[in-house]
Amino acid sequence: MTMAFLDNPLRTGLRMGRTPEPCTMVIFGASGDLTRRKLVPALYNLARERRLPAGFSVVGFARRDWTDESFRELLCEAINTNSRSGPVDPELWASFAQGIYYHWGNFDDADAYRRLVERLAAIDRERGTGGNRVFYLATPPEAYPTIIAQLGTHGLARSSGWTRIIIEKPFGHDLTSAQALNAEVLSVFNEDQVYRIDHYLGKETVQNILIFRFANAIFEPIWHRSHIDHVQITVAETIGVEDRGGYYDTSGALRDMIQNHLMQLLCLVAMEPPSVYDADAVRDEKVKVLRAIRPIALHDTVRGQYGPGSANGRPVRGYREEKGVSPTSQTETYVALKLFIDNWRWAGVPFYLRSGKRLPRRVSEIAIQFKAAPTMIFADTPLNDLEPNVLAMKIQPDEGISLKFSSKVPGQPQIRPVTMDFRYGASFGVTSPEAYERLLLDCMLGDGTLFTRRDEVEASWTLLTPILRAWAEGPPLPFPNYEAGSWGPVEADEFIARDGRSWRRL
Amino acid sequence: MSQTAIDIGAIERELRQMWQEQAIHPNAGGQAVIRALTLNLIARAPDDAWAEQILSVAPGLTAQHPNRTVIVIDRPGTTVEVQAQVQALCTLTNAGRTQVCGEQITISARGTPAGQLAGLVLPLLVPDLPVVLWAPGPQPFAQPLVQRLYRLCDRVIVDSTTFTEPLTELAELATFEQKAKGAPAVSDLGWTRLTPWRELVAQFFDSRTFLPHLHRIDEIVIEYAAGTVVNPVAALLFVGWLASCLKWAPLEEAVGVEGETIRLYLRRPAVGVGPAAIRLVSVEIRPSLSPARAGLASVVLRAIDNQRAEFVVAQTDDAGHARTRATVADTPPIERMVKVDPVTLTDLLSSELRLLSRDRTFAAALNLAGSLARRLTSYHNDPL
Repeated sequence: MTMAFLDNPLRTGLRMGRTPEPCTMVIFGASGDLTRRKLVPALYNLARERRLPAGFSVVGFARRDWTDESFRELLCEAINTNSRSGPVDPELWASFAQGIYYHWGNFDDADAYRRLVERLAAIDRERGTGGNRVFYLATPPEAYPTIIAQLGTHGLARSSGWTRIIIEKPFGHDLTSAQALNAEVLSVFNEDQVYRIDHYLGKETVQNILIFRFANAIFEPIWHRSHIDHVQITVAETIGVEDRGGYYDTSGALRDMIQNHLMQLLCLVAMEPPSVYDADAVRDEKVKVLRAIRPIALHDTVRGQYGPGSANGRPVRGYREEKGVSPTSQTETYVALKLFIDNWRWAGVPFYLRSGKRLPRRVSEIAIQFKAAPTMIFADTPLNDLEPNVLAMKIQPDEGISLKFSSKVPGQPQIRPVTMDFRYGASFGVTSPEAYERLLLDCMLGDGTLFTRRDEVEASWTLLTPILRAWAEGPPLPFPNYEAGSWGPVEADEFIARDGRSWRRL
Repeated sequence: MSQTAIDIGAIERELRQMWQEQAIHPNAGGQAVIRALTLNLIARAPDDAWAEQILSVAPGLTAQHPNRTVIVIDRPGTTVEVQAQVQALCTLTNAGRTQVCGEQITISARGTPAGQLAGLVLPLLVPDLPVVLWAPGPQPFAQPLVQRLYRLCDRVIVDSTTFTEPLTELAELATFEQKAKGAPAVSDLGWTRLTPWRELVAQFFDSRTFLPHLHRIDEIVIEYAAGTVVNPVAALLFVGWLASCLKWAPLEEAVGVEGETIRLYLRRPAVGVGPAAIRLVSVEIRPSLSPARAGLASVVLRAIDNQRAEFVVAQTDDAGHARTRATVADTPPIERMVKVDPVTLTDLLSSELRLLSRDRTFAAALNLAGSLARRLTSYHNDPL
């Protein structure tokens, strides 16, 4: 992994955060939204917290006719608007911006890559970056193959230091395309150079799932089919498709959310303890979960699409009226499904996943519902008055963990559920870093634990591609079938009610 | 009103009542209140000025480490006087969000025997939670109350920047740390202040091209802001840290003091010559001519033999930044500006409270700095 740190004798001991070796990050698609909204603010905040080495440099590669100066100005504005630490510190920015360059070129223009080779060599000389490079693909996915092939052709996949490539989602739109993309990437790079980013894994609360499970001894013994009734994973968004209508209409909730974010959450909740906490041990366990999932039956899925309604008290239009969306679109903006993991720990325990757009609240949560008390000894209380114990891990907002249990009402012979709450905001008075900060730093440090490996991506698509195919081949549904601002289609409620359960009220 | 004894039962009743009232009458904003305690903090204030500082730090600490703070104002005096006061300390939150509160008990004493004070403090500790003793001010280990309490604590926090006889007290601190062997763990807020400096110096050598130069450093120059007391402890700790990480050993008797400038020599393994060969590292520690903020002003690491290399971290004139520069042979220097926010006492304590075990890096640095301090004090007493 990161041998350089072991070599630096000043790096022993507590307190000091790890910092990577000096390197250059080349961002393809540097004129895009992601660069301005997430990447550069994240890099700036890392520099602000002294987590980046001197000499760290950024090269923005895009088609627009900009200069180093105009690019720097644009990024400065972007940080002023989007950074969690507020407007830039002028002196710090002046120093950071010295290492930012703009590289004009078309993604398929061989000459632009030849110039890039020279430019990177010059940066290595002037700023001591020692040939260490990160290529970040922040372009539309159509451009990935071209860029990857050009990098290969111009010998940019290898250098005198290390070279890594970060690829944004989507990793394909079904199993075949994901395999094809992986084949293209791996014809130029080795798997250990490839960092497929799923920003959900960079969230502190998501990482805390593993800490919670494997740094505490009291939960693991009950993390098991004999104690758990079922698991619910919800990722609800209040936003619609915003200005991504054209892209989203070819994608849908299953591809856009379930295939990556929800499957990742599922893996973290369901995986066996890895033998060590390193990139491959953790990802091996996650892949085992994905491979143990029984093929999902079509009747265990529910699709929805929002119609006109409201969001945050304001009327909003329906999905089919959104810009870039076909007026007869059959794309789902809501998915609920049930799946089973056929292994010794989870056999018979249903996992309910749901995700949708234009739901009433923005909330991501994993809820473990335990089995009810087997018998009721308190004569005055009927058993069905008792609520089962629920352990809820809230990913966002109000990050934290709560455990619901029953308690006696003082002075009365009644039992009421109460919750024991742990909240990040309350226990640790520090603001969590943005997901991208953690992930960019991890990549520069060569730690792939929080990135998705090739076999994970393919295992997840193997599971979901048959559903996509069955949906496409089936008859069209009477969309829209839920009102914007409601908790999804009635069918989803009926679907879970058939199992004698209900969705959590969030 | 002055009194000579306190009823522990009364303090406990008052605490209970305080929380019950919170449950029945939520505060003005209608917010729910959570009592959260992660540790016991005993803070000994040697005088009223320190009492005021401790009281101002405690609320900020609640946000990161909700705790029960027992503040003991341990003033000297001929008449015995002691009284106690209880209050809840709550973090400020947005309306509608749950408020987290810790507890604060202030014992204000004058001329009270240490045994009596310790007897008051011990029953007030929350069971099964770590106990941290914070003893700012000079001569912490000479205080009878500290002597009585430290064995029961998980961590003792002192502050070497408040020492009045810095070299002697640094040597004492090192002796105490060695003797304690990790129980209790010892922390020094003066060391905590060095974290950004250590980070910035270490960062130079994360680069593979610079790393070899770390093993061939020949000269170190450290400047520190001169306060009312000449206190080179931070600089000595910094040298102690470098030396312990790089396996440098102090050279017997090789210390010198000219005015306020300290010179000393350490032995390091020579690079590329043979296993037994050594070279000398010369260290110069002096008060800064242009005093900026408190603490270190600049650190320079130089390799002069064969290929020249220089690594510099220096405070800038404004508060909040430092400049780093790495120059190796004829290549252009790599410079940058970094943010180093001024730290508050609350930040420093918070960062110490985050540690649960002994800080071995600190222990090693302190051990070495302690032996340097011992040589320097004997030089002062008996110059060669």
